[in-house]
Amino acid sequence: MTRSLSVVLNACGLLALTAVLAVAFGYQFALGELPCPLCLLQRAAFAAAGVGLALNVCLGPRPSHYAMTILSAVAGAGVAARQVLLHITPGSGSYGSPFLGIHFYSWALMLFVAIVVGSAAMLLADRQFAAEGPGTPAAPALGKGAVALFLFLVAANGISTFAECGGGMCPDNPTEYQLLSR
Amino acid sequence: MMALPFVIFAAATGCALAGRRGLALGAWGIGLALTLFLFRHHATDALPLAF
Repeated sequence: MTRSLSVVLNACGLLALTAVLAVAFGYQFALGELPCPLCLLQRAAFAAAGVGLALNVCLGPRPSHYAMTILSAVAGAGVAARQVLLHITPGSGSYGSPFLGIHFYSWALMLFVAIVVGSAAMLLADRQFAAEGPGTPAAPALGKGAVALFLFLVAANGISTFAECGGGMCPDNPTEYQLLSR
Repeated sequence: MMALPFVIFAAATGCALAGRRGLALGAWGIGLALTLFLFRHHATDALPLAF
């Protein structure tokens, strides 16, 4: 795999993470469902995983960038697994509306595992780490656009989380945007 | 407090766009540590599991 192809694939991965954040955001506003603290932490872990991909896109692929993505996904999987386990026994209920029949925390667990597997598979391609000739752009326009879109979604999540929780910790079952209700 | 990880990861992404790799790495590390701290703070209830 060439360095250029790797950058394009990383940009596609970043767009996929942006789509995940956008869908969660859409549900939050379309259905008026406020994300719980664990939901917010899963979103944060998706954002963390995207930083490694953004570095691959902007500065070229490096094993350490993939390591950042894998470590972030493992942290996110831990949070998602806890939320799945909170609701796994019959009668323990659920949180939020399902998306395509599956709750968001279950989707998140599957996606974090997919991120780990995908990043490990990308690490198998050694040629992407070889330097290409001078003048080879690390990030094509598509890549920088993907990074900018991802940055916008992460910042928007920060603003919405601040509106929901204020400067402190979020309640376990949030019912209103704390900042807007004052 | 819960918004801080998003702010930090957005800053890390901005650093990546600006070509500041060291800053991006540092911000990412701080953001991930904060995310794990917040997880520890919120993971207090015992899981309803019996094996």
